Amino acid sequence: MAMGFEQDYKGFQDYYEARRLNTRIHVIQVLFGAVLVLYLFAFWYLQVVKVDYYKRLSDNNRLRRVTLMPLRGVITDAEHRVLANNRIAFNVRLDREKVADMKAFFPRLAGILGVPEKTLNERLAKYHGRPAFEPVILKEDVDLAEAAYIESRRLELPMLSVEVESRRNYLYGPFAAHALGYVGEVSEDQIKKTDSSGEYELGEIVGKAGVEKQYDDDLKGVKGWKQVVVNSLGREIQEIEEGRKPNPGRSMRLSIDLDLQRALEDAYADEAGSAVFLDPSSGAILAMISRPAFDPNVFAHRFSQDTWESVVNDPRNPLQNRVSLSKFAPGSVFKIVMSIAALEEGVATPSRGDHCTGSWRFGDKVYQCWAVRKGGHGYLTMREAIIQSCNVYFYHLGNDMGIERISKWAHLMGFGEPTGIDLPHEQAGTVPDPEWKKRAMPRDPTWHPGETISVSIGQGAIEVTPIQMATFAAAIGNGGTLYRPHLLQSREVREGVEEEERQDYVVRRVELHPRTLELIRNAMWGVVNEDGTGGRAKIAGRDVCAKTGTAQVFKASRDIDADKLPKEKRDHAWFVGFAPKDDPKIAWAVFVQNGGHGGTTAAPIARLVLERFFQKQDARQGGQQVASVAVPQ
Amino acid sequence: MPAWRYLNNFDWILFLAILAVCSVGLVVIYSATTGTPSAGAFHKQMIWLGLGLVLMLLALLIDYHTLAEFSYVFYGIGLLLLLLTLVYGRVVNASKSWLGFGGAQFQPSEFAKVATILMLAAYLGRERVRGLGALHFAALCAIVGLPVLLIMKQPDLGTAVTFAPLFAGAVFIGGIRVRTLVVLTLVATLALPMAWGHLKPYQKERVKTFLEPTRDPKGSGYQLIQSLIAVGSGGVLGKGFLAGTQGQLQFLPEQHTDFVFAVLAEERGFIGALLMLGLYFVIIYRCLATARSARDRLGVFLSIGVVCTFAGQALLNIGVVVGMLPTTGVPLPLMSYGGSSLASTMLGMGVVLNVWMRRLVN
Repeated sequence: MAMGFEQDYKGFQDYYEARRLNTRIHVIQVLFGAVLVLYLFAFWYLQVVKVDYYKRLSDNNRLRRVTLMPLRGVITDAEHRVLANNRIAFNVRLDREKVADMKAFFPRLAGILGVPEKTLNERLAKYHGRPAFEPVILKEDVDLAEAAYIESRRLELPMLSVEVESRRNYLYGPFAAHALGYVGEVSEDQIKKTDSSGEYELGEIVGKAGVEKQYDDDLKGVKGWKQVVVNSLGREIQEIEEGRKPNPGRSMRLSIDLDLQRALEDAYADEAGSAVFLDPSSGAILAMISRPAFDPNVFAHRFSQDTWESVVNDPRNPLQNRVSLSKFAPGSVFKIVMSIAALEEGVATPSRGDHCTGSWRFGDKVYQCWAVRKGGHGYLTMREAIIQSCNVYFYHLGNDMGIERISKWAHLMGFGEPTGIDLPHEQAGTVPDPEWKKRAMPRDPTWHPGETISVSIGQGAIEVTPIQMATFAAAIGNGGTLYRPHLLQSREVREGVEEEERQDYVVRRVELHPRTLELIRNAMWGVVNEDGTGGRAKIAGRDVCAKTGTAQVFKASRDIDADKLPKEKRDHAWFVGFAPKDDPKIAWAVFVQNGGHGGTTAAPIARLVLERFFQKQDARQGGQQVASVAVPQ
Repeated sequence: MPAWRYLNNFDWILFLAILAVCSVGLVVIYSATTGTPSAGAFHKQMIWLGLGLVLMLLALLIDYHTLAEFSYVFYGIGLLLLLLTLVYGRVVNASKSWLGFGGAQFQPSEFAKVATILMLAAYLGRERVRGLGALHFAALCAIVGLPVLLIMKQPDLGTAVTFAPLFAGAVFIGGIRVRTLVVLTLVATLALPMAWGHLKPYQKERVKTFLEPTRDPKGSGYQLIQSLIAVGSGGVLGKGFLAGTQGQLQFLPEQHTDFVFAVLAEERGFIGALLMLGLYFVIIYRCLATARSARDRLGVFLSIGVVCTFAGQALLNIGVVVGMLPTTGVPLPLMSYGGSSLASTMLGMGVVLNVWMRRLVN
C-alpha cells in the first residue's frame, strides 16, 4: 500500500501541468484578494462614511433618559395650614428574577402579605411582557410595621423589597374636596394631546379636578432627568452625570379658612347640596362645600379599585362640584334681581304698593302665591314684598317690566355667564329671553307672556349656579361690584418666597342708585331680622342680610307644605346673603338639595358658619389667637 | 533527513501571522466577554490555543506523505466520530454537534473537516487522477458528501457550508475543464429555487432577513442590524479596549463567537479592521504560495484544501459582519471563540507549514 502511494506522489510530470496549476492557484488568489478588498470597502463605508449615523444608533441603543419626578406643591389654607401635601408611602415589590417557581411561591407570599393569591396573580399579570428585572408592585402603601417586617427578612425573602414613593396626601380627607380636587395618573388622551411637547408621560401623576387640575402647571413642578447606560435587556448599568434635578412644584395658598370650612362641613351634617362663602370685597372664597363629597385620598392609590369605583359609580355623583357645575332655579332669591331691575329701570319706586289676594289670573292660567291658604299677603310695599317673599307682587312687577329688562339686569348681576372661578369646567346657567327661546326650543320658539311671570319669581327656564348666587350677594353687599370668585391667594415664586396674587378680580361695576341699594339691603335685613323667611339665621348685633329661595322639584309642592314631603320630593332650598349690613365682610350662597324651604334648612347652616366667622373676627380684633382646627383626622 | 533540519525552510511569516491573529482574537474575546455570562471564554480559549500549537507541531513534524498514507484512517475515524455524535451527541442550540469525553468536549465535525482535506488531497494527489474525469468527480463528491450528510443530519448547516469552498477548490485545482465548470454552475443556479424548498423555516428566515434586515428588527434582523451598528459606530479609531458598547452591553449577540470581528471593528475601528483583513490576506497568500511551490501534487492539494476551507470560512464570516451575506453561523477561523475550530485550523495550518518546509526536492 505504502509503496503505491510513494509511486504516485513523485512530483510533476511535465511543465504544462505545473503551469496550469499555477494559473488556477492565481485565479483563487485573485478571487480571495478581491473579496477581501470588497470587504475593506464595506468597512470603510460603514466606519468612515456612515460613522455618525451608526454612532447615533449606538447611543440610542445604550442610553436611556430616565425621568425624575418632582414633588408636588403643597396646598395650604389662608393661614398656612396644610390641606394637601406629599407623604412617604411604602410599596412591597417583587423581583421576578429571584423567584425560581412562581406557582410554588405565591401561596406562601399570599400569607406573608395578607393579600389573596388571586389578587397577587392579577397584579403580576399586568407585568407580563415587561422585562424580568422590572420589579412588580404587589402591595402598595403598607404601614411602617409591615415595611419593617419585609425589610428585616431580606435574607429569607430576597425577592421582596420595599420601595419608597411620594404620594399625595389630603390631611382632612373629604374636607373641601371639590375645591382641592384630586390627582391621578395622566390619561392616555391627555398624553396624546400633549404628545408633541412631550409634557406628560405614562404613569405621571397630574391634577384631575379642582385646584389640583386648575393649577397643575404650577403644582406639578418641573421634571428632571438623568441619562443611564442600559444593556440590551434594558437593565440600568450605570448613571451618567449629565442631567437635571427635578424642581419641586410651587406651593399654593388658598383663601380657604380651615376654621370656617370645618364649621361649614359640620353644619351640613348629612345634607346634600353646596355652599360657598366669600369675601365681598375681593371675591376670595373663604369656605366652600359640595355634598355628597368624596375622599380625594382614594384616588391616590394604585390598587384600591373597589373604593374608587364606588365613588365614580355612586348615583348621587359625589364627584360633581355642585358649587360651579350644577345649576338650579334661583327661586325667590331672584326677586332681589327683579327689585333692582324695576327700581333702576324706573318701572317702580320703593313705595310702589300692591295687593296680594293669594293668586293672580293671567291669561287662562292662575299663578299662585305661597300664602294662598291664608288669603294672600294683602297690601305690600316692595320692602314688605321681599321680606314676605310675596309672589303676586313680583308677578305684577315682571309683567309690567317685560322679559327683556329682566334678562338685561340678570345678566348685569352676573347670571347666565361663568363667574370665572378658578375651578375647571364652570357652568354658565341660563337667563331666558325670547332670543334664547328661539335658539333653545325650536319647536316652540315664541316667548309666552306667562313665561315672564314664572321667571319673575325665579322659576321656569332660569337656572343659576351657587357660585353665581354668592357673587351676586357679594355685589349687593359691596355696592355693585362683581368680583371673579377665586381660591388662590398666593403662590410660592421661589423657595420660601410667596407672592400674593395681584390680579384685577373686578368683572364689572354696576352703577346702582344709592336708594336702590338702601332698599334692597334694608329688605334683606328684614328677611332675617323682622320676622321674615330667614329668621333662623339671625345673630344678635351682626345685621345679617339675606334672601331665602325655593327651587321647585315638583309642581305639586306649591300647594303642599314642603317640609312635610318625603325628602327626595322636597324642593331645593336657597339662602343667599351677606353680613353685616353696613360694610359687609362675608357673603354667601347656601344651597340644600331637597331642603324644603330655604329658611328651614339653609339658613341655620349659614348661621353656624357666620357665628364662627364673627367669633374669629372678634378674636383678631381683640388680639387673641383663636383655637384653630386641631389634629388632622 | 531529520525533521529539525527542515526548520531552516520554516515559513516564519505564515506562523507569525497565525499567532498574531490568535492573539488579537484572545484580546477581543476577553473584551467581549468581560462582565458577561461567558466571562470564562478567554481562559478556555488560551488552553485550546496551547493544544492547537501542539497539534500544529505534530502536523509539522510528520512528513505530509506519511500523513497522506494514513488519510483513509483519519477519514474513517472522522466518519465514525460523526456517527457517534448523531447517537451520543449533546444538543446545543437545537443541534447535536458535540461529543464529550469526561469534562472536555469537542465538535467532531471540525476534526472530520481536516480528515476530509487529507483524504481529498491524498486522492487527487495521485498521478492517475490527472484530468478529473467523471468518475473522479464522483469520487470527490463521495469523499466530501459523506461527512457533509452526517453533519447536516445534526443539523449544523454552518459547519456543513464550510465544506463547500473545500470542494470547490479541490475540483477547480483538480483540473476540471472550464466548459464543465460553466455547465455545473448553470445547473446549480437552476437548482437553487429547488433547494429553497428544502430549507428549514428558520433558514429561510435568515435569507429573507439578509435581503431586508429592517423587516423584523427585533427578531431575526436584530443580529444583522446590531452588527452593523457595532461596526459603524467604531469609526476610524474605534471605541477602545473594553469600551465597545455594542459588545460590552450585549446588544450584539454571539459577540465572542460569530460576531467577534464586529467587536474588533467596534473597539479598534477601521484601522483595526484594515490591519486584521491584512493579516488574513497574509495567511491566505502564504498558503497559496505554499501550494505554488509544493514539490508534488499531494502538497498542492493539501495546501489548497486547507486554504480554501480557511479563506472560505473567514470570508463567509466577515461578509455576515458587514451585512453582505446572510447569517450562517460560521465561526471566524483563528479568532472566534471555540476550541474545536481553533484546534482544527491550527492542525490544517501545520500541514501547510509542513508542505512549505518540504518543498525542495533533494
